[in-house]
Amino acid sequence: MVTHSPVAQRTSLFTKYFLALFAAVVVPLLIAGGSEAWFGYHDQRARLNDLLGAEARSAASKIQDFMEGIRDQLGWTVQLPWSDAADERRRLDALRLMRQVPAVVSLSLIDAAGRERLFVSRIGLNRVEGGDDQSANPAVIGARRNRVWFGPVTFYRGSEPYMTIAVAGNRSAVGVTVAEINLKFIWDVVSAIHVGKTGEAFVLDQPGRLVAHPDISLVLRADEAATWPLKALRAAILARPGQAVAGVDIAGNTVLAAMAPIPGVDWSVIVKQPVAEAFGPIHAALWRTGALLIGGAALAALLAYWLTQRMIGPIRLLEDGVARIGAGQFDHRIDLATGDEFERVATRFNEMAGELAVSQEHAERISRLRRFLAPQVAELVDRTGDDSVLEGRRVEVVVVFCDLRGFTAFSAREEPETIMGVLGEYYDALQRVIGAHEATLTSFSGDGVMVLVNAPVSCPDPALRAVRMASDMQTSVQTLLVGWRALDHRLGFGVGLAMGPATVGRIGSEGRLDYTAIGNVVNLASRLCSSAEDSEILIDRVAAQAIGSRVPLVELDPRSLKGFDQPVPVFAAIIGAGQ
Amino acid sequence: MALRFMPCAARRTGAMRRREFVALFGGAAAWMTPARAQRLAMPVIGYLGSESPEPYASRLKAFREGLAETGYIAGRNVAIEFRWAEGQYRQLPALATELVNRQVTVIVAPGGAEVALAAKSATRTIPIVFEMGGDPIALGVVGSLSRPGGNLTGVSSLSVEASLKRLEFMHELFPANRVFAVAANPTSPTSNSQLANLHAGASSLGLQLRILNASTEQEFEAVFAAVAGMQAGGLVFTSDPYFAYRSGQLAALAARHGVPAITQSRDFPVAGGLMSYGGDFDQSHRHAGMYAGRILKGERPADLAVQRVTKVELFINLKAAKALGIAFPPSILSSADAVIE
Repeated sequence: MVTHSPVAQRTSLFTKYFLALFAAVVVPLLIAGGSEAWFGYHDQRARLNDLLGAEARSAASKIQDFMEGIRDQLGWTVQLPWSDAADERRRLDALRLMRQVPAVVSLSLIDAAGRERLFVSRIGLNRVEGGDDQSANPAVIGARRNRVWFGPVTFYRGSEPYMTIAVAGNRSAVGVTVAEINLKFIWDVVSAIHVGKTGEAFVLDQPGRLVAHPDISLVLRADEAATWPLKALRAAILARPGQAVAGVDIAGNTVLAAMAPIPGVDWSVIVKQPVAEAFGPIHAALWRTGALLIGGAALAALLAYWLTQRMIGPIRLLEDGVARIGAGQFDHRIDLATGDEFERVATRFNEMAGELAVSQEHAERISRLRRFLAPQVAELVDRTGDDSVLEGRRVEVVVVFCDLRGFTAFSAREEPETIMGVLGEYYDALQRVIGAHEATLTSFSGDGVMVLVNAPVSCPDPALRAVRMASDMQTSVQTLLVGWRALDHRLGFGVGLAMGPATVGRIGSEGRLDYTAIGNVVNLASRLCSSAEDSEILIDRVAAQAIGSRVPLVELDPRSLKGFDQPVPVFAAIIGAGQ
Repeated sequence: MALRFMPCAARRTGAMRRREFVALFGGAAAWMTPARAQRLAMPVIGYLGSESPEPYASRLKAFREGLAETGYIAGRNVAIEFRWAEGQYRQLPALATELVNRQVTVIVAPGGAEVALAAKSATRTIPIVFEMGGDPIALGVVGSLSRPGGNLTGVSSLSVEASLKRLEFMHELFPANRVFAVAANPTSPTSNSQLANLHAGASSLGLQLRILNASTEQEFEAVFAAVAGMQAGGLVFTSDPYFAYRSGQLAALAARHGVPAITQSRDFPVAGGLMSYGGDFDQSHRHAGMYAGRILKGERPADLAVQRVTKVELFINLKAAKALGIAFPPSILSSADAVIE
């Protein structure tokens, strides 16, 4: 009955527990980790916006300082008005300026009339009073209009970035100074800017050409196609002003970039930091959450395993116990002391096993009693739960014997099936009558039957009850006999009963128990039965006296019976009377 | 692996001879030596020098600094293999070929167009980093500064372009003189262009030039003697590595002959010469070292633009001036990057 595979059960329990515990541990962790990551990301994004924006502004101001520094130095050369003669002081000033500002490659000093008065260079020959008309030079025109003029970035021989700066004094008489600037010097400024660990800054001019980058060779390549990603990065930032924007740099790394303009020269400084580094703290938090998740899952698995093991043991014990009890081993007891519901279930099972044992014993006794007691009597004995009625004692009983006449000859003549058929009908009839009269059937033997009245359960007026039962027996069997005679079975039926003290009780061994009576009265009843004719009921004197006149009796002649010295007075009951 | 298998093999064959055993063990041990494995993995720089190590010492120091900036330290994670021409410039192509046969990772060819061209003719595959004073395009070393293409890139020190400036400084020092002597190395590939440049400059300044040739050390004496004999204001050296690496010798000769001279290299005034004007070789050699390091890291020379140094420096020696009875005018004093007293 209990044949579930223990392995299958264990797996399913384990799965259930694991899922439940996993959900209990991991889901809150997931929610906490997810929200931490989400809010962390947004906080970090906002922080990076501020940080990169500030870095970009700081970088822009550094580069602006560089340009302003050059402009300020040039300002010294446009403070005094020109005279007509060559000015040795100015030449010295110009040479000293060249010495002071390494980024200046050459310097032209132009007077109020737009003529070049002085030219000094690091490579080419200097010129004093060259006199070239520079009034149409856009640098001169621009400086005269706005005091300062920043020219476009040009790439010398397609490589080195240069720029012209022109500065005018506060009146036209002081003229204009035009300086050629080597922009490679911005490298010193740009390469000193570090954002985070590996973040860096670069500078694009207005058309998007790379002016300065920590990798100077990238600038010297002057390759607009190669630096296109940087230009695209600037376009992306311009599309979302004030925001740090994610994009791709030249090396193909994803970076976060912010921009600040450099006023005057109309350049843009862009600072960029690899996204991996910028979001490093968030990634660390995510890793932590991941580790917690794994740890939580492992803990959940361990808990599930431990709990399941704690469940499986008692369940196995219960399962085994139930299987044994089911198989009829009612004395088996499930030994569980877990102190929880399992122990209670075990106790219930143990109680159930006890009750089953009692009820089985009860059923066994009933079936035993029913073999010789009338069902009502058997029930009664069982209900009182007292076997003592079956114990040996000496009581006044009525013993009734009955048997078939001519049965020996019949059984010798007929087929066994016929004999058994006849006997079956015969016993059915007798049993019904015995039961109806609550008498005790003590034994069958062939066609002979012995019945006790007033034992083991006593009843009022046993003699009368016995004679009425005998009369009913005759009536029932005679009806059968009519049928049998029609089949040419020449049989008869006689009954003998006697009343007197006898020893009654259970006899036999554990395997086979009988209830019977021993005493002279038994012999007498047996002998009376033997001497009875067909349809006759012979009664001894004690019983006849007990019956009195309630049943019509006929006193026959005393008969000599085997085992009795004196002739025994015999009475016969009239069949059909007293019904 | 071999070590682990060896005892089994020895047990199995039993009769293995001792000599074989030792050979096997020795081979295995050599294979396992980590130092050897590291040496095998270490990249090698082939350094082609036109002179001997002594005149190159200051340049090598700058080169090593540049290399270190990219994370390479000679002997630790990079090996440098030197080939010195000892002033025999005709030896350079053979030495370059030696380095190519040695299969070095990168060839560094500093100290002039001759070295760069020798390396260039030796290989089209091994990356070359040059360092020179001249214009690498005009000398046919590269086709473009921004995109050198091929297997070469490097640094130009602007010394050749600045040779005209040396005449100007000499004229500044002797404004009354109309005649100046010029020393040139006729074997130098930049010699003709420099002389043409100088002649053009001299005519615009209204000066006359006396060209004196010297292509060997033995000819130096004659040059200084000739200057002392003529009514020249001073001697202007054209830019040439052969001169530059012999600054000490030139300074001694100038002092002995009482000739005011200007060369490209600061080594000259440092050694007692009057003055120098030329590109900062510290910067050019350091940049060459950085480029060599970047190429070792896997960058292609074709992607590295040729750099020009940003600094052209004027060095003057007051002691030498005093010995010659000269006083530097304020224009030179104020322009000087370094004044040696």
